[in-house]
Amino acid sequence: MAETLVARSALRAHVAPPAAPAGAPGFTLREVPDLTLASVAALKGREAELAEAVRAAYGLDLPQGPKRVASGPVAFVGAGPGKWLAVSSAATDFSALPAAVADQSDGRSAFRLAGPKARETLATLIQVDLHPRAFGAGDVALTHAASIAVTLWQLDDEPSYEILMFRTYAATLWRWIVEAGRSRGVEARLAG
Amino acid sequence: MRIACPFCGPRGVDEFAYLGDATVKRPNADAPDALPAFVEYVYLRDNPAGLHRELWQHALGCQSWLVVTRNVRTHVIDQVEAARDVAAARSSEAE
Ligand SMILES: [Zn+2]
Repeated sequence: MAETLVARSALRAHVAPPAAPAGAPGFTLREVPDLTLASVAALKGREAELAEAVRAAYGLDLPQGPKRVASGPVAFVGAGPGKWLAVSSAATDFSALPAAVADQSDGRSAFRLAGPKARETLATLIQVDLHPRAFGAGDVALTHAASIAVTLWQLDDEPSYEILMFRTYAATLWRWIVEAGRSRGVEARLAG
Repeated sequence: MRIACPFCGPRGVDEFAYLGDATVKRPNADAPDALPAFVEYVYLRDNPAGLHRELWQHALGCQSWLVVTRNVRTHVIDQVEAARDVAAARSSEAE
């Protein structure tokens, strides 16, 4: 009998426990569910063609370097020389782009951290300088958090961040963030 | 030690994986002296006390392969280049 595959979060309450602060929250931690993710790698000699196709389809100039550009639900994140991560909060088909495109939606999980203590908490797990003079809205870091490979970007100056990891590490990184946020007023809960 | 990745910027050495000597060149397998040339290519390495060119990968970052020119006595890094640029320059030299 055919089984229907259903997309499910990598997080469960027993591996990704919630946290509530005693006083005012220093920052919130949430999963970002249902993202469409695709790795996009330019084909040799066809970089300009890809840039033009992204501009035509999404009105975005592909960033050079570790930057993120967004328009509506779609964002492109610089992921290496000639490589990007295409991200969408809607159902978006990136496969028509003239590039090597591979869907990553079921392989990664994403969290959003928002609030005045988000930066300080991430700084305990990440060695990249997150001070506003070095890292601001639109900046991207490909690095590791507590030895877990992550892609991190800052969304705005609240500050809020989104952090992407392989989904098998999602619960571990969740607990790292909750633990690091314990003394910084983390308010964390799973959706639903 | 910190390595300035051309894409990501300076990062701690913990983000990088070391591959080895970046100066060796794969010999021509059809040449009459291919066997001793391959023995040298695969096994024999210089051990300079000073500047050395090494292959590193930004494994816990952008995954780029890099050619790092490093003084192995002081850890001072003179230059970091994308390995694909070094390879492209080498093959255009050979033409
Ligand atoms: Zn890098």
